[in-house]
Amino acid sequence: MTKPYNNKAWLGVLPVLLIVAFSGVVPLMTVVNYSVQDILDFNSRFFVGFQWYSETLQDPRFVEAFVRQLGFSASVLIIEIPLGLMLARGMPREGISASLMLVLLAIPLLIPWNVVGTIWQLYARSDIGLLGVTLNALGLGFNYTANPLHAWITLLAMDIWHWTSLVALLAFAGLTSVPAAYYQAAELDGASKWQVFRYVELPRLKGVLVIAVLLRLMDSFMIYTEPFVLTGGGPGNATTFLSQHLATMAVGQFDLGPAAAFSVIYFLFILLFCWVFYSSVVREND
Amino acid sequence: MTSLGRRPWLSVSRWLLVCYCIYLLLPLYWLASIALQSNADITGEFALLPQNPTLANFAEIWRNPVWFSAFINSLNYVVLNTLISIAVAVPAAYVFSRYRFLGDRQLFFWLLTNRMAPPAVFLLPFFQLYSAVGLFDTPLAVALAHCLFTVPLSVWILEGFMSAVPTELDDMARIDGHSFGFFFMRIFVPVNRGAIGVTLFFCFMFSWVELLLARTLTGSAAKPIVVTMTRTVSASGLDWGVLAAAGVLTVIPGIVVVWFVRKHLVKGFALGRVS
Amino acid sequence: MASIQLDGLSFRYPGAEEYTLAPLSLNVPDGTAFALLGASGAGKTTLLNLLSGLLAPTSGRIFFGDDDVSYVAGRQRNVAQVFQFPVLYESLSVAENLAFPLRARKFDPLWIDERVRHIAADLAITEQLPFVAADLSLFQKQLVAIGRALVRPDVSVVLLDEPLTAVEPRMKWRLRQTLRRVQEELAVTMIYVTHDQTEALTFADQVAVMADGGLLQVGTPEQIYATPSCEFVGYFIGSPGMNFVDIERLESSLEVSVGASRVGFRPEWALLKPQGQGQLAGTVESIQLAGTDSGAATGVVRLDTAAGRVAVRGKLNVAVGDHVGIELRQHLCFSAQGDLVTAEYD
Repeated sequence: MTKPYNNKAWLGVLPVLLIVAFSGVVPLMTVVNYSVQDILDFNSRFFVGFQWYSETLQDPRFVEAFVRQLGFSASVLIIEIPLGLMLARGMPREGISASLMLVLLAIPLLIPWNVVGTIWQLYARSDIGLLGVTLNALGLGFNYTANPLHAWITLLAMDIWHWTSLVALLAFAGLTSVPAAYYQAAELDGASKWQVFRYVELPRLKGVLVIAVLLRLMDSFMIYTEPFVLTGGGPGNATTFLSQHLATMAVGQFDLGPAAAFSVIYFLFILLFCWVFYSSVVREND
Repeated sequence: MTSLGRRPWLSVSRWLLVCYCIYLLLPLYWLASIALQSNADITGEFALLPQNPTLANFAEIWRNPVWFSAFINSLNYVVLNTLISIAVAVPAAYVFSRYRFLGDRQLFFWLLTNRMAPPAVFLLPFFQLYSAVGLFDTPLAVALAHCLFTVPLSVWILEGFMSAVPTELDDMARIDGHSFGFFFMRIFVPVNRGAIGVTLFFCFMFSWVELLLARTLTGSAAKPIVVTMTRTVSASGLDWGVLAAAGVLTVIPGIVVVWFVRKHLVKGFALGRVS
Repeated sequence: MASIQLDGLSFRYPGAEEYTLAPLSLNVPDGTAFALLGASGAGKTTLLNLLSGLLAPTSGRIFFGDDDVSYVAGRQRNVAQVFQFPVLYESLSVAENLAFPLRARKFDPLWIDERVRHIAADLAITEQLPFVAADLSLFQKQLVAIGRALVRPDVSVVLLDEPLTAVEPRMKWRLRQTLRRVQEELAVTMIYVTHDQTEALTFADQVAVMADGGLLQVGTPEQIYATPSCEFVGYFIGSPGMNFVDIERLESSLEVSVGASRVGFRPEWALLKPQGQGQLAGTVESIQLAGTDSGAATGVVRLDTAAGRVAVRGKLNVAVGDHVGIELRQHLCFSAQGDLVTAEYD
């Protein structure tokens, strides 16, 4: 559709602009403001330049949280993207089973994040949890509150349970956009199942897969509630990721300057990852 | 359709799907199971099925004003957020889909980058900002805070759908002599019912589930259910049964919303862009 | 290449009351260019899907040559299909697209290369061979799709489902020409489905006219045009189609067959005469210019008569409102049920 040029269109976007500015830009400016100041109390603040930034980047707890975060996000992506893709290929396309499957897959996406944590608490605990008790009955000595490895695995299992549906639904939307004729033609060509996937489906899925990876990368990097509820960041610091580290600094310790600097660094990292991924994979715009 | 050589029901993908569905359902089953047991039963002998199923936990929530009001508070800001998001996103999406203007592409992209902001970054400034304007501890504060994330997504989805609505519709309305207001409210918006439904789904998907901001911006008056649940510690330790019951109650609105928009769901996940 | 034989073939969706395709029998000789002509819903796509193996017949049989392929899977039938829009492997090059069906069947790579070049040369797309399919124009893409259909040497029949639909309007005739030329050169049995009669009548050796799931008439384009088996075919073919008038309404007598109740004549079989002459009297309603013939304007004249509205093609030497006579130089007789009647004249 060829769209006419009309600057009066700005009237239409004005409400959106106002709301996002109020909710986003103003607070963000405040954070940047704090990040370059030393705020002892409300009336005494001193400009300190990039001091907080360099301190944060050298703080071992920050670096540890960052490394943990990278490990978590990488694991999440490696499992959820292929899994979601394979699930989408198996989903029925029509009939009542298609509707039921869509609803079932969408459910985990609509559960409050703390409830997700609670559900997995109740599920994985070694005293009252179905999974916990079963694993212990098999002699595995499973205890996610004490054992860091178990905590990681439980967190991963929880995140997979929570978010794979998003990838699957996105991939499913992409798959259903392939006209039936392409499958017919491949059938008449004598194409194998792998060839159908590689040459008919995958080219169509590129767009949605990019979105899926972006969303999971971003969201896993920001994860806070679920690990907080499930493990509280423990045992010890084993599952303390970036968001929780920041939340502790910001809310608990009232050290506004360093917390603000951390916030800015955090935001910039996410933007950087997204930009790198996006520009390296996407060649055309829509 | 009777066709030869169709994908067999028992392919690898199908098996994987079945296993994954079981994986999905087990924890949900367990939640429901715990919700239907008394605390004594839960901490007592372990059993796969609830031995003495009871609705006492649900009754406790219904009776207890703290829990009940918490649910209402949550619904409050979710509905507010959805209304505000859709109200501002619809005109913006209309304009993006119909016109080009100075800085339009940059604006669209900038909107999307807001979705990438970690909520944790906003804890500090939100707390101060909303306190300063006297909105602290109100549903409106949470609704507005969530707008930072739901509005860009809403614009993105709505624009995708609206681009597919032919401009002939606009022209016909103008030729028929209708004012723009009439056209927009009585013709254009109803045509996009499905798109708005999908947007509603995605707004709900963010606002209902979020904890960090909801917790930071509320005190005791507007305390939402997500906060009440994370603070449930009674004298006798964690009240698992009531907690689980509350959990069940928070899952149900999600199921209802999905069921109503299921027909538009796939298109929504294609973000309105069918091609 | 093979001849195609359909024996009492029919299709009905499970649980449906009516046939999507009523039982029909058809014989398509080897190497024929065969057109299935009909409006949407006529059943032609269903027939195509039965031939390609996408659907299984409710009753009847399909033979490719001597083989009964009624229930054989599509990939084993040696059938190729060209669709309404170019269906290609968009991420592969043109050469890889053309080679795909051959590679899937494990032909010798050197021979494949040779064959791909041969087909590309036939379709004049040799220059496009190294390019990625997604970058071509719609016309070129459809040529590649046709090439992919022709590339297999053992293909029994090539099915084409309205292949000109997505191509740019000014390229349609070129694609039609290419198809006809290639079909003749390679002597491939082609079954071409369309709702456009010009496409059908110019492309095919044999045309089958279908409506509402049934086969109405099979014949050469000339036969379909000159002796339609029923009123529907007469009306459907031609632009404008055949006119029909009740015999009682004729002003003067005409030789008609036994059992005839209506007379049909094509617009070009009638001549406008001064008022009082001819078998019909009419008033000119509208004039549509089509071209010129030796300096005189020709086109379609639409008239209102006592027997209904008719169209006459010829010289436009009348004006709107004129009262004229219509003489039928040539006509056909139809029964009350609408079938052609050719019994001896009364």
